[in-house]
Amino acid sequence: MCPTVREEVGSRAEADIAIQVGGLCKSYGETCALHNVAFTIPRGEVFGYLGPNGAGKTTTVNILSGLLDRDVGEVMICGMDISRDPVPVKRRIGVVPEESNLYPELTCRRNLEYLGELYGLSGPARRKSTDELLGAFALSDKKEAPFRTLSRGMKRRLTVAAALLHSPEVVFLDEPTAGLDVPSARALRALIQTINRDGTTVFLTTHNLAEAEALCDRVLILVKGRVVTEGTAMEIRQKVEKSRTLSVVLSADVAEQSLLDACPAVRSASLVDGTWRLEVNDTHAAVSQIVSFAEKHGVRVSEIKTATTTLEDAFMTILKEDVERESPT
Amino acid sequence: MNQLISALFISRKDVESYYGKPPLITWAILFPAVLMLAVYVKDPATYLDVAPGIIAMTLLFGNTSMAAIVVTFEKRSGTLQRLLLAPVTHRTIILGKTASAAAYGIATSLIITIGLALLLGMTFSRPLVFGIGLISGAGVFSLLGLTASVLVREVFEAMTLLNFLRFPILFISGVFMPMAALPSWIKPVAFISPLTYVVELLRYGISGHSYFSSQWICILAVGGFLALSWLVAEPVFRRNANR
Repeated sequence: MCPTVREEVGSRAEADIAIQVGGLCKSYGETCALHNVAFTIPRGEVFGYLGPNGAGKTTTVNILSGLLDRDVGEVMICGMDISRDPVPVKRRIGVVPEESNLYPELTCRRNLEYLGELYGLSGPARRKSTDELLGAFALSDKKEAPFRTLSRGMKRRLTVAAALLHSPEVVFLDEPTAGLDVPSARALRALIQTINRDGTTVFLTTHNLAEAEALCDRVLILVKGRVVTEGTAMEIRQKVEKSRTLSVVLSADVAEQSLLDACPAVRSASLVDGTWRLEVNDTHAAVSQIVSFAEKHGVRVSEIKTATTTLEDAFMTILKEDVERESPT
Repeated sequence: MNQLISALFISRKDVESYYGKPPLITWAILFPAVLMLAVYVKDPATYLDVAPGIIAMTLLFGNTSMAAIVVTFEKRSGTLQRLLLAPVTHRTIILGKTASAAAYGIATSLIITIGLALLLGMTFSRPLVFGIGLISGAGVFSLLGLTASVLVREVFEAMTLLNFLRFPILFISGVFMPMAALPSWIKPVAFISPLTYVVELLRYGISGHSYFSSQWICILAVGGFLALSWLVAEPVFRRNANR
């Protein structure tokens, strides 16, 4: 049984909390999209919300940003309930949806000014914010260009700029770098760090686990609408480091099955670009077994080293464990 | 007050973005103008019998088309979602979208009206009643267009849905034939069409005569349809705007 948001609020100063979610459930007909999801995000944090396709990430963002009604649970953003006070909450949040969805026929400048009008910014404040953001996002020379004529990267940058126009306390970024080329994605990641340095809380959903690892203070992994784990990237990596990974290069090809048969300490093996990536239960035993196996088959061990578990490795292990839990046979 | 100002901003943006779309101009001005000209050429003595109906038809098509095109286009491009993320209520969005569609319908109907006045010498017996007919009718038809468009994804789907309603009511609402001349079995159906009361208000405004004994019957009826349209539009929009 999850504690309710209000019970938790008592233990933490409300002013320090940007987002607090408790017992959140959402179903679409018979399909359960979110089940008892709970998490707390302190102000000023970059929070990564990770999960495979269909895990419920966008459903969560939609509920937190007021686009979708929840079935059960509590959602407090900056101390207010989005379903009870949608307008004041929306004034304090900025949302960058998965698709860049500004007005295609309006110019960059007019897009920002129009959104500034809706967010209640005065004329001079609107113009100042618009000019500053167009400058900060390197779009000043495109200010009179219609949104539809921009490149994908520029569209993304303007969509992020639109979310920041009213200086929100919390920004939701749904797959912000999806579909961008490497330089554009890098530039956007740098911008996210800048936004966060200014004190804005960032709620980031992404498929790019390296990006999450680089940007996020904490991450949560959601699988089939349930929270599987939550913590810093290091904490999550440590949770799954029960088995170590060895990286091995052999001088000749060997069959995977014969390697696994000869080395009981190796749990799984995969060959990527000539390097064996072996998940092992006991590093010492595995090294000794691999060396014996190599001698027996007349191949040389060119390289053997322990590989670092990345957040992506941890994520894959968690997904695998989830599948195994669901089908124990 | 803030929400009212936001509704005005929404309307202004829609006017700025969509007024110049060629299909709307064709539908809203050229088609009724040509139709009116055909009626006049056929019998210049009786064109005034048909004029209120043609103006109301311009209003009906202008409003419903404008609302349908804007909402379905924005739903498809994701910009309606952008509006839903802004600190404005659903009521504000409905008001803003309806007002811009209504403004367009009124503007196009006025172009036809002014054309009739200048070119064919049409005069107004009760201009205020004519104005009430235009404005209230524009509200009802815009809400109808918005409600239909929020239920579908594509413009053509919205148009198809609306045409199932628009074309039948053209023939039962005294547009081409005065109410008194309608077959008796159609009259009960005519009374449940908002277009009937809009046509009769415009007729009263132009000629000072109407099928109904008092203009108040029409004003109350259109007011009732306006309230009903809003009551239907609000929950439908809330449920379907983000689908």
